[in-house]
Amino acid sequence: MLCTPVEHQISRRQFMGAAGGSALSLGGLVTPAVAEKLRKERRQVLFVWLDGGMSQLESWDPKPNTPFGGPFRSIQTTVPGIQISELMPQSAKLMKHLAIVRSVSTQDNSHSAGVDRINRGDPKNRGVVYPFFGSAVSKLVGNNDSGLPSYIWVKPLSGGFIYKDAGFLGPKYGALALGDGKPPENLLRPKEIAPEDDDERNELRKLLDSKYAAERRKEFTEANTHAFEMAAQLQKKIELFDLSKLPQKDQDRYGTHDLGRHMLLARRLLEEGVTFVKVTSYGWDTHGDHFNGAASLHPKFDRPFAAIIEDMRDRGMLDNVLVIACAEFGRTPRINGHIGRDHWPEAWSVCMAGRGIKGGVVAGKTNDKGTEVTSDPVDIGGLFHTWYKALGIDPKEVEFRNGGQPLPIAHEEMKPVTEVLA
Amino acid sequence: MPRLLLSFAVAVTFSPLARAAEPLHVRIDAVIETKAKAENASLAAPADDAEFLRRVYLDFAGTIPTVAVTKAFLADTATDKRTKVIDSLLSNPSYATRMADLFHVAFMERLGENADWTKYLRESFAKNKPYDQMVREMLRADSKDADTVGAAFWISKRLENYGQNPVDYSALTRDVGRLFLGKNFQCCECHDHLFIDDYKQQHFQGLHTFFKNTYLVNPAKMIVAEKPTIEKHPFASVFTKVQMATGPSLPGMMMIDIPMFAKGMEFETPPNKKTNEPGVPKFSTLAKISEQLPTAKNTDFTRNAVNRIWFAVMGRGLVHPLDLHHGRNPASHPEVLAMLADEFAANKFDMKWLLRELALTTTYQRSSVVQAGKDAPDSRLFAVALEKRLSADQLLTAMLTATGNDPKAADTLRPKFLKAFANQPREPEDEIAPSLKGALFVLHDSAVLELVVTKPGNLVERTAKLDDAAATDELYLTVLTRKPTADERAAVAKVLAKHPEKRAEAIGRVAWALLASMEFGVNH
Repeated sequence: MLCTPVEHQISRRQFMGAAGGSALSLGGLVTPAVAEKLRKERRQVLFVWLDGGMSQLESWDPKPNTPFGGPFRSIQTTVPGIQISELMPQSAKLMKHLAIVRSVSTQDNSHSAGVDRINRGDPKNRGVVYPFFGSAVSKLVGNNDSGLPSYIWVKPLSGGFIYKDAGFLGPKYGALALGDGKPPENLLRPKEIAPEDDDERNELRKLLDSKYAAERRKEFTEANTHAFEMAAQLQKKIELFDLSKLPQKDQDRYGTHDLGRHMLLARRLLEEGVTFVKVTSYGWDTHGDHFNGAASLHPKFDRPFAAIIEDMRDRGMLDNVLVIACAEFGRTPRINGHIGRDHWPEAWSVCMAGRGIKGGVVAGKTNDKGTEVTSDPVDIGGLFHTWYKALGIDPKEVEFRNGGQPLPIAHEEMKPVTEVLA
Repeated sequence: MPRLLLSFAVAVTFSPLARAAEPLHVRIDAVIETKAKAENASLAAPADDAEFLRRVYLDFAGTIPTVAVTKAFLADTATDKRTKVIDSLLSNPSYATRMADLFHVAFMERLGENADWTKYLRESFAKNKPYDQMVREMLRADSKDADTVGAAFWISKRLENYGQNPVDYSALTRDVGRLFLGKNFQCCECHDHLFIDDYKQQHFQGLHTFFKNTYLVNPAKMIVAEKPTIEKHPFASVFTKVQMATGPSLPGMMMIDIPMFAKGMEFETPPNKKTNEPGVPKFSTLAKISEQLPTAKNTDFTRNAVNRIWFAVMGRGLVHPLDLHHGRNPASHPEVLAMLADEFAANKFDMKWLLRELALTTTYQRSSVVQAGKDAPDSRLFAVALEKRLSADQLLTAMLTATGNDPKAADTLRPKFLKAFANQPREPEDEIAPSLKGALFVLHDSAVLELVVTKPGNLVERTAKLDDAAATDELYLTVLTRKPTADERAAVAKVLAKHPEKRAEAIGRVAWALLASMEFGVNH
């Protein structure tokens, strides 16, 4: 059975008492206490995807002064005994909010297979295409009444609605991708159409559609309704995309590079209540000239990552938002002939923070050279268990249904990394 | 009594001798109906004339009927009028344009466009070239033959490389399997398929051996050349690491012997270093595959062909997904698949014959309306007609037909419609996928909004002159190929009454709502 999201249970019961049975809007009708409770129960995810594979050795699991350690030092974080790479100074200051798993060991060392496998949690094959984590969370947690789609993907290059992410859950759990953080093309109503005329024509369209949908199969009609509803929702939120209205100080702290701007947009989306925000950064596949690459790349991640954690801490949002920084694999300890690091799924690191996560913790370890995991290896299925637990979703009790077929939400033979759970 | 009926139907269906004289469409219907009854699925009523007409026009002419055609068809009392319209559409020039679009989308999967390719497809369909011959010409990729040069695009586009990336031979091999044999051997490049027992690494590698020595000499002229294939292609499973080798071979067929030639004697025409003219090897693997793959005895080929055509007409493959024919994914109606495949081959791969038989089935001519108060039956039963996606070209052409605007506008609008409604390269357009991008395009893009602005002779101008009731009837019949219901008449009348001063604009908004509706956006 699918779980009913917690906030819905609360709202049913408490609205009846507090708001006289009228629960249409969270705006004026709810008492501050109930609103506060609802806000606290809100579950959200920020998923930062470092496409191509970030080096664990220049970030979360440095091995200075070893054969494969590279030129960078490690620095002390604000948590005694935990050191990370000197390329991550801002994150080091926030270590008490971060949890690092250094014993990640996954299966695929090709991008094409790795990206899919990690994002889908690599469940056992049951002849169905599993959803990406974002689609899964938007199904399991639902929409937080943000007036926005529940799964938004901020990425460089092109955007669009990426329904393939949803796998068997069906197109409406796909990702709305905002290419370069910009609103989708044609979002704004042309000036020639007056608002009342727009309403008039859309009323007629909806009348036609409800007649058509009433006597047809659901697959197409539901997905089509969803696309038009999303269009209507986004039009109301156009101001979200205008970051220039935010204080200059914010823009300086996050940086004006792609990932900086996109993380700042992610914060705005999370503030609005979007359930799952994925931010992708490309260019981490440093097979050559890796160390110059890392010296430039890692701070570009470190700065906005620390800024968004800080901002969410200050706003009390870390109680709601699970933060994950992940990639399809790490990078080889061995340095290749092009002074590069190649793909290394065998031993790499993932960093988390926020909802359900115990800060200031390192779980698992690798050997001296960083080539192998020396504690219990954690595959992506184990990380999915960890993330679901952090969100208060127990994979033992909650399952997907695909038609009549029950499907576990995470690989049933794997376990969460309990050390990082609050 | 029902039991008696059922056993009667079963007896009839499975007695091929009694049925052999019946036309194919009658035998198809018998199987479909028997199975639906056995599964307790209620069959939808026949589509009414309007629903049928719209469907058959979109399928075989690539657009909706004009309002004049619709009125004439609805008024026609002849009992064979459906058969007549099917026959007339199959012999109309728009048939070739529509089929070229269908095949372009299915076989190029939006990898790119090419004028010679389009011309080749249109000419082939115009003269009803047998399907096996088309596939032979695509696989032969002979750019020297002026009549078939366009066919070379299928391979030449896949031999292009992008930026620093090498030519994706694996994808070419995979596409041959998927699109011509209905089998996706992608996972078999490195090992036998882990979950599909029927798919072996040998299948992928045997197919790959036909293409590994091909290369692109000139992308613009689509000149594909071959280096001589002189030895078997070595491969090893990543699991067993056992060294294997294969000559060119098709799944389920004999491996082709690679002839031995003395060094320097491999070429029929040696490469010309001065003119850069590529050589022609005596042993051409492209010649071999084009001879061996598209044949009546290759059941992978015949079954995939009819399954894809069935999908295009009926909205779902008998085998679905279309590229996963294997033992554990049987056809929903194995008898139908076998009949279609055998008889398509026996009829010399005559496309028009096959399409005509499918269009004549009761199955095709059923309504897509689901019985009130009931869940839709399993789509695998074909008990209720399935909605079909409109390609970007179908949608554009249908919008131009509906709004009575200059068909020449298609040239400038086409790139915008492709951007809004076509899938990304390599994503098959095999399901209806409404998108935010498409919704916003219909809502706000001038490409659509301009169509419902009054212009001399267009729909909006024409209907604005009529009274409310007549205007509403005309708008519905023209855009949706049906008459409005009483509720719809009232709703439109209410809108029009509000804007006596700006009637044409109000009519334009009504026309827009019809264009933007779900009902217009699919082939139902």
